[in-house]
Amino acid sequence: MNKISLVEFSIRRPKLVLLVAGLLTLLFLTQFPKIRTDTNPKHMLPETSDVRVWNDQVDKTFALYEDTIVVGVENDAGVLNKDTLGRIARVTDAILGLDGVASRDVNGFTTITNVTAEEGTLKVGPLMPAAPRTDAEVEDLKKALFGNPLFINRIISQDGKTTAIYVPLEKGANGAEIADKMRDIVAKEKGSERYYIAGDPVARDTFGAEMFKLMAIFSPIAGMIMFAAIQFMFRNLALSAAMMGVSMVAIIWSIGLLVGVGFPVHIMSSMAPVFLMAIATDSIHIFNEFYFRYRERGDKLTAIRETMAAVSRPVRFTALATAAGFAVMLFMNIIPVQVFGGLIAFGTVVLRLLSFSFIPAVLTFLREDKLAGKAEDATEDRTARVLGRLGSFGATRPGLTVAVTAALLAVSVWGVTKIHVNNNLVAWFKADSEIRVADTAMNRALGGTSLGYVVVESKEADFMKRPEAMRWIEGLQRHLETLPVVGKTFSVADYVKRINRVLHDDDARFDTVPDTQEGVGQYLFLFSMSAKPSDLDNVIDPASTKANLWVQMKTWDADAMRTVIAATQDYHKSHPLAATVKPAGIGYFNLVWNEEVLGDLVLGFSLALAVVFVILALDFRSFKWALVAYVPLLFTILLIYGVVGFVGKDFDMPLSVMSTLSLGMAVDFAIHFVSRFRQRREEAGTDETVEQSLAWTAARPGKGIMRNALLFAAAFSVMMAAPLTPYVAVGAFIVSMMLLSALLTLLLLPALVMLARRWLVPEQAAPAAQLAAAQS
Amino acid sequence: MKRILIAAFAALIPLLAWAQSGEEVMKKSQAAFLYPGKDFKARVLMKLINKDGQERVRELTMLRKNGGEPGGEQKYFMYFFQPADVKDMSFMTYKYPAKDDDRWMFIPAVNMVKRIAAQDKRSSFVGSDFTYEDVSGRDIEDDNHAIEREEKVGSRDCYVVKSTPKAGDADFGHKLTWVDKANFLPLKEEQYDRKGARYKEFTANEVADVKGFPTVVRRTMKNLQTGHRTEVAYSRTEYDLGLDDGLFSERYLRQPPRKWVD
Repeated sequence: MNKISLVEFSIRRPKLVLLVAGLLTLLFLTQFPKIRTDTNPKHMLPETSDVRVWNDQVDKTFALYEDTIVVGVENDAGVLNKDTLGRIARVTDAILGLDGVASRDVNGFTTITNVTAEEGTLKVGPLMPAAPRTDAEVEDLKKALFGNPLFINRIISQDGKTTAIYVPLEKGANGAEIADKMRDIVAKEKGSERYYIAGDPVARDTFGAEMFKLMAIFSPIAGMIMFAAIQFMFRNLALSAAMMGVSMVAIIWSIGLLVGVGFPVHIMSSMAPVFLMAIATDSIHIFNEFYFRYRERGDKLTAIRETMAAVSRPVRFTALATAAGFAVMLFMNIIPVQVFGGLIAFGTVVLRLLSFSFIPAVLTFLREDKLAGKAEDATEDRTARVLGRLGSFGATRPGLTVAVTAALLAVSVWGVTKIHVNNNLVAWFKADSEIRVADTAMNRALGGTSLGYVVVESKEADFMKRPEAMRWIEGLQRHLETLPVVGKTFSVADYVKRINRVLHDDDARFDTVPDTQEGVGQYLFLFSMSAKPSDLDNVIDPASTKANLWVQMKTWDADAMRTVIAATQDYHKSHPLAATVKPAGIGYFNLVWNEEVLGDLVLGFSLALAVVFVILALDFRSFKWALVAYVPLLFTILLIYGVVGFVGKDFDMPLSVMSTLSLGMAVDFAIHFVSRFRQRREEAGTDETVEQSLAWTAARPGKGIMRNALLFAAAFSVMMAAPLTPYVAVGAFIVSMMLLSALLTLLLLPALVMLARRWLVPEQAAPAAQLAAAQS
Repeated sequence: MKRILIAAFAALIPLLAWAQSGEEVMKKSQAAFLYPGKDFKARVLMKLINKDGQERVRELTMLRKNGGEPGGEQKYFMYFFQPADVKDMSFMTYKYPAKDDDRWMFIPAVNMVKRIAAQDKRSSFVGSDFTYEDVSGRDIEDDNHAIEREEKVGSRDCYVVKSTPKAGDADFGHKLTWVDKANFLPLKEEQYDRKGARYKEFTANEVADVKGFPTVVRRTMKNLQTGHRTEVAYSRTEYDLGLDDGLFSERYLRQPPRKWVD
């Protein structure tokens, strides 16, 4: 038994153990300055994933930018007046001068290409080269804006109160810095206008800041709460400090390793400190047992040895189960989840290593005089008595207990069927956050902030210049625009129609695609003679074999893109065209990613189920016991998911990850309970009935379980106040899971043991079982 | 005190001379590059190449007639052969110093001649990396010119002239032109944006002697920010053909005489 000799070594050379732990911690700490965050949702999937390769290819073909910041300007009195337009012109001009901004392709009033005909002269150029000086000029601008469908819902809202400036960024530009400079620019403008700075780069930056907040503020608060709770439970400062020390060491080692190996901190791994702190509470069982043993023995070193011997098996197996629950995530497809799984699995192993070295070493330093008054006795302890009664209730009324939980379970299964898998990255911010406010305002006024593409691809050169291809795209646009989630579409057909109309003196009858390929080709040529190169490049490739249809959606829900794709396929079926039609863009990425989350959930959950079962079976050396211990665990998770389904909360990536690792964490209680119960049966022999043993288990190790659950819940409850909704959801999930799982372990497990006792303990323990049967 | 002032003035004189000669050099360069001969004809092949090497082709015949002295009025006529769907399109420009150009385009698909507003001289010429201004030149008076230094381009001695727009309306901050000391052709030009970053680069790849006029027959304009470039090759270049003024009219825009455009 390696672990036991490690314990012996630690008791004999406690100072050396603490010194080594301290030095190693310092070593890991040196890695911290290299920390960096990665908040780019694209990095959820590997660079080689089909969707990322395809999206990169589409970006390249159509000269699209990876990042665009959208500056919204809103004025309740309307933006089309001299003052507001003057401000818009000034703001745009200042933005054009910012480093990292792809100035040539900024689209706003002063830069967007307009095609008009005035007195027989075709004009292709910026819509508003300078701010209007007279009311007549404002009127002209109004006419130009509302006379060109390309602008409506893109740079001007229907009601004329909102406009937007689309600011693409050069590759590698620092979006956070540019957004800050934009805020400075708009802050200089005095007026009644409201400005919104939105878009992917801003969201990512805010996200990163919130992540640091979680790690730097919420994790320490969670730590302090745990510290206070431990102090309250054991009233021994050295002991509380030891527990916290263990978790700090594990956190520093894990994060140090993560940073040192070169991984960035992601949404998932930012939660690692809280997780590790909570998992560290498993050593509460050591302290819990130590206090009882010390009371019984009165000798510190003996108590340590006996404690370690008694809890070593369950502690080792719970650690194994937890580590395995996280390690399962290494098999998933989403990178941050993989990293997170590996990170916590490592941390858990470190924690266990410390449980058998650091903790016994610290225990040797406890002063006996301080311990004497506080050591516990299960029979005198009020909490233990209550828990014992809980256990006996389950043991004496097994039928009732099981029936009630079964009824709850049935309701939960119904709730689970209502679960809706959806990842909406904008909804990860709280409703009153700057990002959400901007997103909501822009979605209300304009065509939508969530962007997807539909790429129409043929193999023949100039295929897209054919009138039938143009008309097909135009028809698809009208079809997609009937969907409630779609706010705006635009394509190369819009330019062609616009030119046709303008060439024919703005006659609405010519707002159509011309009848010949030459016509289309010549119009596009005419347009390209004066427009910005990107105007056409964004919607049609140089060889005219591919066209790109822009679809602006009003929500980031993955379902929106799914609807667009389904509608596109329907249209393609009813309107055949010799071309392939494929979705692309960030909207499509979100959908694919969303489906990966679902796939990962199913895979991870089944893997975790299997692994946890195997670990249980190994620990108990019995399939039957494993099966019984499994039940409270499954009930806990089903109950929680039932609630998730009823509440209507989106089932997103963090929640799906929780489902997997919660198996590994919640099983701890069952392991402790069953191990200690069986130990007790062996120790107590025929002196005790099965019910009595169950009550004892619920009272003594049960107190450890309850303490463990409370500490866990205390740590995670802090996350419920965090600024990002995934943190809140994870916090709520873990708090309820821990409490529910502890409760079910102490109540349902005794009931199950009673009901299945003959099946569980057939031969050797027969006398006890018979005795119990006789008494019940 | 007086002496010091005089000395300071004296010290500035060479600089003033330089400033003048910067404008002189650019004037001579304009004459050599954009105004040689009374008129000019060439078959122009433009390759528009994106950063992945995908090509688009524009092929046209270009006619040019000078109205008078270098820097003065000019008329351009362009007839397109390629891409196929724009065949028979033709384009005409009257270029005036210190005034917006007049432009017309014939669109065969709708059999229509349309005047085109020339509000932005810095917009792309037929989708290439050349702007209208790169093709037909910028008014010398629009910029301040100063010789920065002298440098060789290949084996040719050049003046390096820095031209900075007098008004802030242009989208570029300044440009540097390497002007051949012997024939005043621009061999290289770098354009800088308002942020001071180099973003476009012109190179004269081949200079040939046509009827005694040194002519840039192959040139490239590269956009350094997008990686897109345009390569232009002139063939069948001729000077002093005796082009008639009547050729530059709406009638011939619709039906250009074979003799001149083939």
